[in-house]
Amino acid sequence: MVFSSLTFLYFFLPIVLIVYIFLPNRMTVPLGKQKNLSIPARNLLILLTGFFFYAWGEPFYVIIMLFSTMIDYTAGRMMHKFDNNQKIRTVCLIISVCMNIGLLAVFKYSDFIFDTVNSIFGTDIINPVILANRRINDIYNFGLSEDRVALPIGISFYTFQSMSYTIDLYLRKIKVQKSFIGFTSYVTLFPQIVAGPIVRYEDVAAEIEDRKVNIGKISEGIAKFSKGLAKKVLLANNIGIIWTEVKAMDYTQISAATAWLGILAFTFQIYFDFSGYSDMAVGLGKMLGFNFPKNFDHPYLSKSISEFWRRWHITLGTWFREYVYIPLGGNRKGMAKTLRNLLIVWGLTGLWHGASWNFVVWGLYYGILIIIERVGFGKILEKLPAAVSMLYTFLMTVFGWVLFDTDSMGKAWQFLKAMFGAGGSFADSTAKYIFSSNKLIFIICIFASTTLFGKFAMFLRKKKRLIYAYTVPAAVVCVMLLCTSYLVDSSYNPFLYFRF
Amino acid sequence: MLKKKKRLNVPNLITCIAFFVLLIFMAVMTIVLPKQDFLEMENDYAEKFPQLSAKAVFNRTYMNKMENYISDHFAGRIGWIKARTVLETSLGKQERNGIYILKNRLAEKISEPDYSLADKSAAAINKFAESTEAPVFVMIVPTSAEIYADELPKNAPNADQEKFINYVYGELGKSVSTINIYQTMLSNRDDYIYYRTDHHWTTRGAYLAYAAAGKKMGYDPVPSEMFDIEHAGIDFIGTFYSKTLYDGVEKDTLDFYHLANGSPVTEVAITSDLGKDPEVYESMYFREYLDKKDKYASFLGTNKPIVDIKAENNGGKLLIIKDSYAHCYAPFLTQHYSEVTLVDMRYINMPLKSVIDLESYDQILILYNASSFMTDTNIAKLGY
Repeated sequence: MVFSSLTFLYFFLPIVLIVYIFLPNRMTVPLGKQKNLSIPARNLLILLTGFFFYAWGEPFYVIIMLFSTMIDYTAGRMMHKFDNNQKIRTVCLIISVCMNIGLLAVFKYSDFIFDTVNSIFGTDIINPVILANRRINDIYNFGLSEDRVALPIGISFYTFQSMSYTIDLYLRKIKVQKSFIGFTSYVTLFPQIVAGPIVRYEDVAAEIEDRKVNIGKISEGIAKFSKGLAKKVLLANNIGIIWTEVKAMDYTQISAATAWLGILAFTFQIYFDFSGYSDMAVGLGKMLGFNFPKNFDHPYLSKSISEFWRRWHITLGTWFREYVYIPLGGNRKGMAKTLRNLLIVWGLTGLWHGASWNFVVWGLYYGILIIIERVGFGKILEKLPAAVSMLYTFLMTVFGWVLFDTDSMGKAWQFLKAMFGAGGSFADSTAKYIFSSNKLIFIICIFASTTLFGKFAMFLRKKKRLIYAYTVPAAVVCVMLLCTSYLVDSSYNPFLYFRF
Repeated sequence: MLKKKKRLNVPNLITCIAFFVLLIFMAVMTIVLPKQDFLEMENDYAEKFPQLSAKAVFNRTYMNKMENYISDHFAGRIGWIKARTVLETSLGKQERNGIYILKNRLAEKISEPDYSLADKSAAAINKFAESTEAPVFVMIVPTSAEIYADELPKNAPNADQEKFINYVYGELGKSVSTINIYQTMLSNRDDYIYYRTDHHWTTRGAYLAYAAAGKKMGYDPVPSEMFDIEHAGIDFIGTFYSKTLYDGVEKDTLDFYHLANGSPVTEVAITSDLGKDPEVYESMYFREYLDKKDKYASFLGTNKPIVDIKAENNGGKLLIIKDSYAHCYAPFLTQHYSEVTLVDMRYINMPLKSVIDLESYDQILILYNASSFMTDTNIAKLGY
């Protein structure tokens, strides 16, 4: 299920929230004489609804998620039980990490690996996962993909989250979660299961045990959720139509202006779609009493690439820094090692976004840009006027998106050339039409990428408390009505993270 | 322990109440409101409540159907969609779901045609014409997007239909006679020749083409004053309307052209399934459709593989290979031919000669509008 659907908004969400609000955190069920069973009622509800939410979109591969959860839970308990035996603890960690990486390797990267091997050696090996799918289909007719491995939704998010638990436990940063319901509810927590943010166990450990839900938190959550929904449905979906159109064109024929409008449209689409999903997740988390970490912070205002990645998909950057970059030695082991570590981290970051060379190149592109900033260009950027360094950073991200969303390196190259006029003209009637019929949405997107709206809200909050207080419910209602009218006729409502 | 005195925050309470009331109200209304089996606007069946089964769950069809069911039956569905159209057009957007919104007309957004498909279709027609004895005529009718191109939004992408028609006519060989009605339509653009809300031409538009084609096809067209015009379909809203739900365009009127001395038609036989017996009717006009949304289907019904019209006169036999533009065109021809047979290639998946006795026809007319000629891959079947 996705948040931006009528099924979620009008059926799943109200039912789950109302039951949840009226449940206590723990419930005591009398079991005959002097025996009482204490059930973590809210956690149990989160577990069940999360399972339903996930299985709605992934009815078969939900077993993979359960499998991974059980292994990580058991690994955690074992590490705790053999607290004095460092060897057993290490084995537990290795099992957990290998299992999670293994699931990713099989379900996310196996096609890519076999394709690469086959093209290098000219072989024709069929991916065993595909063979398995065919067998299952022969027997049960589940309609599993027989051509390419269908990536289980959210696998890159929940494997990373589970790993954060076992790794941190190994490093003794957190306490063990003894309750299976408690641990599973962390993994299946529906706000963040399909598209992040990557909530580390550490972030919510205390809230899993005990959390408060009140009118203030719920209304704050509703406001945040509505903001995210508006970003996704009103901004991202609308500007995304332009990119869908341009992306399908013949790149050797399009004018430079068309190419720029197209990739700028994607630049805004991916930002509002992704940060919209994160806002919705944070908002839903609030309604349930959780505080998820921030995932986006106006990234297009960054003055350097390093800063951009501190403001874009923050939880992913944090994860790679904590669990890959720092364990590799970070920047404390001399220049050569630092460079090596940066390239590893950025290659992996690229690969995390999808199993294709485009993503690897995209990741390494950022790795190189960041290395260039490390060796001195960063200092120059700091000295330049803010507008110049911001423009530099923005343009570099735009070129990055070309690598990211054109389907092959050949196409990416063609598109980049088209942006500089290789299509034969600077601006044709197509570009003029795209511009004139979409100027409004572009202008709104530009403003919404800045801090202006936020600053205005802060101003109201401080100086005109009363107006601010009533603006929130009014805005929420407007957004809900508008989004519903767009969702009822949703000829275009893509889910962009199917490759993550 | 001192408890902090809690003050109720009214705006927060309003936010919560408004949010939940809206969600629950719409959900309850969606559940309790009566369900429609047919979506008149979309001209399509609504999703039925899905049956639960392990297979349907595991291959996800259950979930997909449930989501479609909720969307098709969502309370106030049409109102929600119209609200979006009103909002977007008032913000200056002149396009919705592939339809341009003009001053008092909707028009199809037609992208650049695939000329290689046109080559294939033309080659198939050439091959077909060489293999048949009867003379073959081709008429490609421009659509309203071409005739009113000057009213489209500035710089709007719009395929050049005149260029396309001339290209196809140029590809057709000596054994094919082309009928060019482009100028006829263009010079009558102030007349009511295309529906404002539908993709078809009006009966008036079809009449003008019929009159213009007479010379080439060898009949004397009946002068337009001879017809009694019946405004049979009032407040007709067509396919373009369904795609936009835009109310700012005047509704259409659908006309039947009658002759004072009555219709020469004796029998209309419609074959819905090839190989089965046709259903036989007395009239070319199916008045039951006049009360429905798809009023254009009152001309010879919806698209079917074969429609055979017999008329009382001593003219020859005419075969029309066509799209739905021919449905309001064929009635005029019953004045001049004793039998007019309409064939829709989309539904014929075997060689035409195995379905129709081609030898028995005196003339063959291939009639398509430019938009469907650009995209229809079934014309190429004529070459088999």
